[in-house]
Amino acid sequence: MELLTAIAIGILFAIGVFQLLRRNIIRSAIGLIILANAVNLFLLSTGAYIGVEPAYVSNTTGVLSDALPQALILTAIVISMGGTAFVLSMLYIISARYKTSDMDEIDGLKN
Amino acid sequence: MLYKHLPLLPIVLPLTGAVIALLLSRSRSLQALWTLATMLTALASSTWLLAVVWRSGQPVVFQSGGWAAPFGISLVGDLLAAVFVVMSQLVLATGVLYAIGSKDSVVRYPTFYPLYLMLATSLSGAMLTGDLFNMYVFAELLVISGTVLTAVSDDRYGTEAAYKYFYISLLASFFMLLAVGCLYVSYGTLNMADLAQRIAVDTGRLLLPGIGFLMATFMVKSAVFPFHFWQPDFHTAAPTAVSAMLSSVVVKLGVYGFLRMTTLLFLPQAETIRCLLVVLGVVGVIFGGLSAIGTHNVKRMLAYSTLAQVGFILVGIGWGTPLAIAAAIVFAFNHSLIKAAMLMLAGYVASRAPVKSAGFDVVTGVGRSIPVAGVLFFIGSLGLAGIPPTNGFISKMFLFSSGIDAAELGSLAFIGMGSILTLVYTMRAFQRIWWQEPSGGAKAKPGGDHLLAPAILIVLVLLLGLWAEPLVQVAKDTSVWLGNPADYIQAVLGG
Repeated sequence: MELLTAIAIGILFAIGVFQLLRRNIIRSAIGLIILANAVNLFLLSTGAYIGVEPAYVSNTTGVLSDALPQALILTAIVISMGGTAFVLSMLYIISARYKTSDMDEIDGLKN
Repeated sequence: MLYKHLPLLPIVLPLTGAVIALLLSRSRSLQALWTLATMLTALASSTWLLAVVWRSGQPVVFQSGGWAAPFGISLVGDLLAAVFVVMSQLVLATGVLYAIGSKDSVVRYPTFYPLYLMLATSLSGAMLTGDLFNMYVFAELLVISGTVLTAVSDDRYGTEAAYKYFYISLLASFFMLLAVGCLYVSYGTLNMADLAQRIAVDTGRLLLPGIGFLMATFMVKSAVFPFHFWQPDFHTAAPTAVSAMLSSVVVKLGVYGFLRMTTLLFLPQAETIRCLLVVLGVVGVIFGGLSAIGTHNVKRMLAYSTLAQVGFILVGIGWGTPLAIAAAIVFAFNHSLIKAAMLMLAGYVASRAPVKSAGFDVVTGVGRSIPVAGVLFFIGSLGLAGIPPTNGFISKMFLFSSGIDAAELGSLAFIGMGSILTLVYTMRAFQRIWWQEPSGGAKAKPGGDHLLAPAILIVLVLLLGLWAEPLVQVAKDTSVWLGNPADYIQAVLGG
């Protein structure tokens, strides 16, 4: 499971960074979203696989799972959802103004 | 302890104020007055916190929810946090004054004042918290409120600049999450005092990536040289009342982070971090100064100047002697006041220009009919360049003497050169706006923004220049506190 998660995080990071570097502004926003998921998965893997029994449930034996990383990614997911919504709304305004999604043609700040 | 709830006030007051201001959005003037009252109350509460902390000589710690230290979120009002929060809220309060007197249409946006109060909340929260993840949450709130305020700016390119900033900041917050993950997997805690205690005795496997990610985060937050590229656009496009805050107090969050990293969190690795900070600071001073000379816009010039001034502060932190850290704190405080005043004056000039813009081709000669603003701008320029009757002189003198004391003559020579660049660009701006004949007979418009807020800040600049002892004393005491991280750890974990 840990190996699988590690490979998944690696693949997500690779895709995210690749999309981030594209010239298409919408693709780069999607890269950001994928990267957010990769980071959340990394945060989950910091403590979730040490024990597999759910914590705070009575009558369990064995090593309890660490609940804190799950609480952390819950917060991080909500924040990145808000951030993503905001990025997409600004993207909408910008691409409506320039009628393009090519970063090289969005040049208002260059002068 | 009697005052243990005190660190909560500077966070909760603006937060409550923001919610109530949202309800008052039908009446703009009532909303503005409410915001001003809230900011002043918050400023009073943080000053109270500073007074209590300074007099009692130990940090005020509040364990939220009654959970004991490493498990709950602790709010720690130590002297460093208290000084930075007072600085932020002082400047933010004058920013509300400027917004009330401003002719920008953005201040009539119904959620302008609530967002502004959220900016105050998140800045105080990020500085007062003793928990790394909580700091991430507040930093994210800071980024979002600052970005929304810029995205609705009067400037045509506000949305694009805001997008650029938000994009970079989201990446920075991913860095911070990665740092949180690395530190949590190595030490099993996120409480800063607990982390410091554990890092001091054992090197975890993922400690170094954690330090690197955290460095990158704070470098983006305070626009340190290689991560600065979003900053000039963003600070130019933001509405004046907001860009004065962004360029003065919001960038100080990164400075605060670096201070915490080198004096509390990563003590065994502090030497390496300091080395890096000196190099980055020197590069920032030179690069920021040269870029500021090359700009064609007053606000953009001041944004690049922030890059240089943050460089000075980083060099101070990087030298790392108690005196140099005290100098860096004094420098940060004074720079906030001066830079906010200068940006407000630039915004005032732009509001009087024939076309609303701060470009040099538009504002040349506009100042001839507004001599009062000229006097204020001149004093502010002296402050930025570090010339006697102002507090800028105190901070530069203190910083340079601490450099001589630490025998860091190489970097001292570089930042000395950088400090001459400051004089070049501020005086050029003054000359173009207030001395040259307007080109094409352009006259200043009657009316414009109100001069009260920058005037208050400039008075403070002069006052702190002539009567600097209290601030210098607080900074010296702070650096003594920072030299004893064991006290901080004891206060958080044992209280």
